[in-house]
Amino acid sequence: MIPGKIVRFVEEYANVAFAGTRNKHLVPYGHRVSGWRVGSDQRTMIALIPSQFTPRLIESLEDNGEFALTVEEFPSHETYQFKGRYLRHRPPDREDLEILQTIRTRFVKSMRPLYTNAPESIWHAFIMNPSLAVEFEVFEIYLQTPGPGAGTRLVPPPEEPAR
Amino acid sequence: MSTATARLPAEIRPVLDNGIPAVMVTCSADGKPNVTVISQVYYVDDTHAALSFQFFSKTIRNVRENPRAYVCVVDIAGHTQWILELEFQRSETEGAIFDAMEMQIEAIASATGMSGIFKLRAADIYHVLSVEKITYPEWSGS
Repeated sequence: MIPGKIVRFVEEYANVAFAGTRNKHLVPYGHRVSGWRVGSDQRTMIALIPSQFTPRLIESLEDNGEFALTVEEFPSHETYQFKGRYLRHRPPDREDLEILQTIRTRFVKSMRPLYTNAPESIWHAFIMNPSLAVEFEVFEIYLQTPGPGAGTRLVPPPEEPAR
Repeated sequence: MSTATARLPAEIRPVLDNGIPAVMVTCSADGKPNVTVISQVYYVDDTHAALSFQFFSKTIRNVRENPRAYVCVVDIAGHTQWILELEFQRSETEGAIFDAMEMQIEAIASATGMSGIFKLRAADIYHVLSVEKITYPEWSGS
């Protein structure tokens, strides 16, 4: 189960994310993520992926199901990685697109004071419109905020075995 | 070990130096992908890049058991993202590449409020297997 504190971070503060998969030969591949949300059961997440980053995605997920999602708040660098197993995919729905717009607004607001000379449109464009919503079940959560604690497993706790 | 080779184009060099964090994906020997944000991708020559080894992380363990890596670097003003597929070759703890990366890391740390946290342990050298340029549309307001 995703702890409430991390759900709040994901839904209220995080402003950038990236997903990872791998093929049957263990070759890793990345996919920029425009939006994300935690399922109402707090066991699943949905990642919204733009078409530019869907090559090799479904092929890899249907081969082995391995999915990792790293979610960060910039510029604080607070970061968590969620690892789990692919469940299903579908086109984004209206709720997904509403969440995407919230994240885009949050991202632009966080970039504005850091790059005062840059036109705001470049930050809007960076959060690309998604073409796919990927749902996965979260088995493990890791702290990835830069520093000596980076990589610490938070869920399940370190004393329990990973799935 | 892969036999593929690609060349880093001249137009990617300013993107590697733009200070915007990159993303790296690796995979463990037991098949779990790992995604991490990296602060620096250093141009070594047109067929090699170096990545900073700052902490004893999952990424560092992964590339030593499975050398393949994926890196995405961003040119926000150019509406472009570059995808590099890499293969880990070796780690250097001294020399010209290490010294140059260490200086860059200190500058990045200072600029991002991470002084005292970012510290270069080694320069990991990767062979470039492929380079792909992804251009995305300008903002149209919807």
